[in-house]
Amino acid sequence: MALWFVFALMTAAAIFAVLWPLGRARSDAGGTEAAVYKDQLAEVGRDAAAGLIGSPEAEAARVEISRRLLAADDTERNIPVRTSPIFRRAVAVIALIGLPLMAVAFYLPLGSPRMPDFPLAERTRAPSASEPLDNLVAQVQAHLEKNPTDGRGWSVLAPVLAKLGRFDDAVTAFRNAITYNGDNAARRADLGEAMSAAAKGVITAEAKTEFERAVALDADEVKARYFLGVAAEQDGRAAEAASIWRAMLAKAPPDAPWRPLVQAALVRVGGPSLPALSDDTMASVQGMSADDRSAMVKGMVDRLATRLKQDGNDVEGWLRLVRAYMVLGDRDKAKSALTDARQAVGSDAGKLQQLNEGLKSFGLGG
Amino acid sequence: MTRRQRRLTLIGGSLAVLAIAAALVLNALRDSIVFFSTPTMAAEKHVPVGKRFRLGGMVEQGSLVRGDNLAISFKVSDGGATLPVTYKGILPDLFREGQGVVAEGALDAAGVFKADTVLAKHDENYMPKEVADALKKQGRWQEGSGGKPVATQGASNAPASVTQ
Amino acid sequence: MIAEAGHYALVLALALALIQSTVPIVGARLRDPALMNVARSTALAQLLFVGLSFVALVTLHVTSDFSVANVFENSHSMKPLLYKITGVWGNHEGSMLLWVSILALFGGLVAAFGNNLPLSLRAHVLAVQGWIAAAFYLFILITSNPFLRIANPPIEGRDLNPVLQDIGLAVHPPMLYLGYVGFSISFSFAVAALIEGRIDAAWARWVRPWTLVAWIFLTLGIAMGSYWAYYELGWGGWWFWDPVENASLMPWLAGTALLHSAVVMEKRNALKVWTILLAILTFSLSLLGTFLVRSGVLTSVHAFATDPTRGVFILLILCLFIGGSLTLYMWRASALKQGGLFAPISREGALVLNNLFLTTACATVFIGTLYPLALEVLTGDKISVGAPFFNLTFGPLFVPLLLAVPFGPLLAWKRGDLAGVAQRLMAAGIAALVAIAMVWAWTSGGAALAPLAIGLAVFVIAGAVVDLVERTSLFRSPFATAMRRARGLPRSTWGTAFAHAGVGVALIGIVCETTWNSEYIGTMKPNDVARLAGYQLKLDDITQRQGPNFREMLAQFTVSRDGDKISVMTPSKRSFTTRGSSTTEAALLSRGASQLYISLGDTAADGGIAVRIYHKPLVLLIWFGPVLMAFGGLLSLSDRRLRVGAPKPAKIASKPPRALQPAE
Repeated sequence: MALWFVFALMTAAAIFAVLWPLGRARSDAGGTEAAVYKDQLAEVGRDAAAGLIGSPEAEAARVEISRRLLAADDTERNIPVRTSPIFRRAVAVIALIGLPLMAVAFYLPLGSPRMPDFPLAERTRAPSASEPLDNLVAQVQAHLEKNPTDGRGWSVLAPVLAKLGRFDDAVTAFRNAITYNGDNAARRADLGEAMSAAAKGVITAEAKTEFERAVALDADEVKARYFLGVAAEQDGRAAEAASIWRAMLAKAPPDAPWRPLVQAALVRVGGPSLPALSDDTMASVQGMSADDRSAMVKGMVDRLATRLKQDGNDVEGWLRLVRAYMVLGDRDKAKSALTDARQAVGSDAGKLQQLNEGLKSFGLGG
Repeated sequence: MTRRQRRLTLIGGSLAVLAIAAALVLNALRDSIVFFSTPTMAAEKHVPVGKRFRLGGMVEQGSLVRGDNLAISFKVSDGGATLPVTYKGILPDLFREGQGVVAEGALDAAGVFKADTVLAKHDENYMPKEVADALKKQGRWQEGSGGKPVATQGASNAPASVTQ
Repeated sequence: MIAEAGHYALVLALALALIQSTVPIVGARLRDPALMNVARSTALAQLLFVGLSFVALVTLHVTSDFSVANVFENSHSMKPLLYKITGVWGNHEGSMLLWVSILALFGGLVAAFGNNLPLSLRAHVLAVQGWIAAAFYLFILITSNPFLRIANPPIEGRDLNPVLQDIGLAVHPPMLYLGYVGFSISFSFAVAALIEGRIDAAWARWVRPWTLVAWIFLTLGIAMGSYWAYYELGWGGWWFWDPVENASLMPWLAGTALLHSAVVMEKRNALKVWTILLAILTFSLSLLGTFLVRSGVLTSVHAFATDPTRGVFILLILCLFIGGSLTLYMWRASALKQGGLFAPISREGALVLNNLFLTTACATVFIGTLYPLALEVLTGDKISVGAPFFNLTFGPLFVPLLLAVPFGPLLAWKRGDLAGVAQRLMAAGIAALVAIAMVWAWTSGGAALAPLAIGLAVFVIAGAVVDLVERTSLFRSPFATAMRRARGLPRSTWGTAFAHAGVGVALIGIVCETTWNSEYIGTMKPNDVARLAGYQLKLDDITQRQGPNFREMLAQFTVSRDGDKISVMTPSKRSFTTRGSSTTEAALLSRGASQLYISLGDTAADGGIAVRIYHKPLVLLIWFGPVLMAFGGLLSLSDRRLRVGAPKPAKIASKPPRALQPAE
């Protein structure tokens, strides 16, 4: 309500500004050209007296200026002053009706009159429980802006950022956590994971280095080892990936929660490793819900597809992708992957042949 | 002098000055403008050795090598072609691997771009406008992918470098 | 409430501008003083409302109200208070609001202090101001509204860009805008004269103070921007011929020409048509500058705005005002009466020459700035026109101009005596020759052009002194008489002398800096010593420090000369942890007008640090010159003649007029 009152006051002031001169009976007449020329004459006189200009020049200047003065006097005297009441009334009507109408017509679509101000001072008093996660994160970030060396703060913030999908920020946060809260294998592994998440699942060279550092710090770091396997897989070295994962499974306690994941990965890189799985583990993979399992597999297939889009030279990879789509029952995708593969390796006759050989067993045709 | 003669003097003088200025401008435009190229464009146009131009593109990941006495070499790539660049001096604060860069200099006989200036001009995505335009034209730019062209990622297994 | 009140005030300002742009013109046609005076009250009210609007935006930034999109995007609650305020115009929307505020300020000043103007001229001038203001209010409200709100206010703002947190950047844009926008008054006077179809010597006197004010601010703004680039960017360069810099240089060149041609018009009633054209062109170049900077068509550190709709809108405004005013000019200019006659060798002739060279120089800058854009649009080729182009075109044009500068003030009006003037300038010529010889001997050969250029600069400065000596007849009459005459001289004469000397001073700085600048670039470890221009700079220590929101690496250098310790310099490099960005803070040490300049590069693996050290001889003169020019402008502005015809003493230059009366 107060806002509308202020608006009304302001509008009234604006209208008054238009009406005020209209209502004045006598207004000032303004300056004249003649005044300027009279001053110029005086100036010539001063300059001549001071010896700045010679007397013939001063005389010539006087004549010139006097001529201008006469002309100006002439024209200025010939301007009659009139009043036109009709127009004055029209302007008053415009000011009284047109001005507020226009202001409101412009303001309403643009402004948000119902929204109160929200300055910082008010905000800090607001109860924090109801705040969304984003705001809490922002508060922590603000705190860290002031105390960038608070390693614990970074350690708390980083995983939250990763969960929110802000991977680039998470990478920075994990880095700072390592710098200020001490280096350890788990943090290195988390950093690497955030990096690869930022790269849409591709294990970049940077991320790989982080995993390698983590393993160097602690040879049993599960996450790092798993991702090193993924890196090997993405680079097309399926056998190496399989051996990394097999070694993990061999060492793992039977109730390790990550067993199913690794086993599924192992299945992905190649059938021959299947016999190595104990009955227990088979059971635990089967123990996963069907949805979980297919979601997991799908995620991996997508990652493979992304990688191949960027580096299409890997014939084995293409074959694996096509096979995966076939297994998942997505024939259309398998066919389009096949087309992509042909385009990607098209320039290399040897690889093309290798691709075609591999495809024979799929029964896709064409 | 009559009014007419005075006016002619004035106009003649103005024309003389304008003619001199035009000559200066044309001369300067011939000699001192610098074209912008990406590595691909440089390869296509066969830029002669010693001809100055501005090279724009992305600094390839892992290509930055610091030598003795502030000598620096790196590779600039636009996804299509790559051009090695050498530079001696201090790089701007905003120079990073994997980010856009514009360097001014000329090719030497060995096909290496010897830069004498490395520019720090860019928008908030670390992408100089010319580079962004050129990459878009070559279809190597994905809108909305955080300003990072697809070209520089991929199978580079070079030792990682800290880009912070 | 503050946000919405500010928003509504802006809308009201638009409505008032629309009334201001029409009613006074109708009033002038009908010769109704009341309708004409509507211009005055609406201009003042418009200033009030834009002022409210601007204050509202500043308040929102200070209180960190992130429910306003502009504050959220460009501020942060952690910013120091000063940068919260300056951040208001550090972004596109805010800077446009500042632009219109200054426009309204000038309109308001004309309304408040334009008592000496004839009623109809004032009405027309303010109406034209109203058109410009209305166009830009629409631009702001439609494409760059700073008062848009966010429904769910975020808790923290987005921007804390460390590069923009700098006092130089805080002061430089308002200065430049005061200059740019100030020329709108000259433009409005010109268009008003064309509408009235009548223009006389008095017009030039009325428009002069406004042109001077704009010119002074633009001079200072350009100088300040140049100094900011010099110390902040860490490259030691002070002028890059960057399109943004050119955008401010072009109106300056045209505005300088305008100041000079208006003198001819005031004194001799000549060059009227040309002066009007210059007034239009100067503001058109200001608008062009606004367009170049604000539309984002350039690749430049300054161009933060990259929204095409804005660019198109400003382009429309640009075409409308430049096209409209030039059409009006072509239609009406032939109707203006011709003025006084003069011989080619005369004060008028010298001022014409000045105009010729200044506008030609301006045209070359124009070509150099817009040619790359035009070529890119037409052929798609991307080129850059850099310093070599401007040095080859701008330089040669300025040499004859500067040679002529000392002659101008000494020549008589109408018909001058060149030989006599040359004789009187003998002393200045000798001083120049001595300077050339000394510089030549001191640098033992070397660059041949530099001593000549210094000689030219000395000639310009000595010429300004000779002018004053001649007018006061210092050496021909007793000292007391000379002093009395000096006090009696019009202040504008003093202003001319100071401004011309300022040009010479700046030229000396430019020549010395570019010719004898020496640099050292290398990797240094603690206790290494760099030798440069007779100084020894020893790197004592590299330390780390924790700042409020950054980590700082400080390098401490001990500067000594011939074994005597002079001072300590500490350049640094700041890295802002949360943003992952870094800035270089150069260290500067002034020795007289010369400076030592150190900036840091990267640290090497072996603990060494890349260091760049410059010695810049007499570099401070580059900025001292423009300050001198601006001071000259200020003296000229305080001249009593500019207030003539005012029924009440105007307060724009509130010096007591009594003190200026000649003693006779």
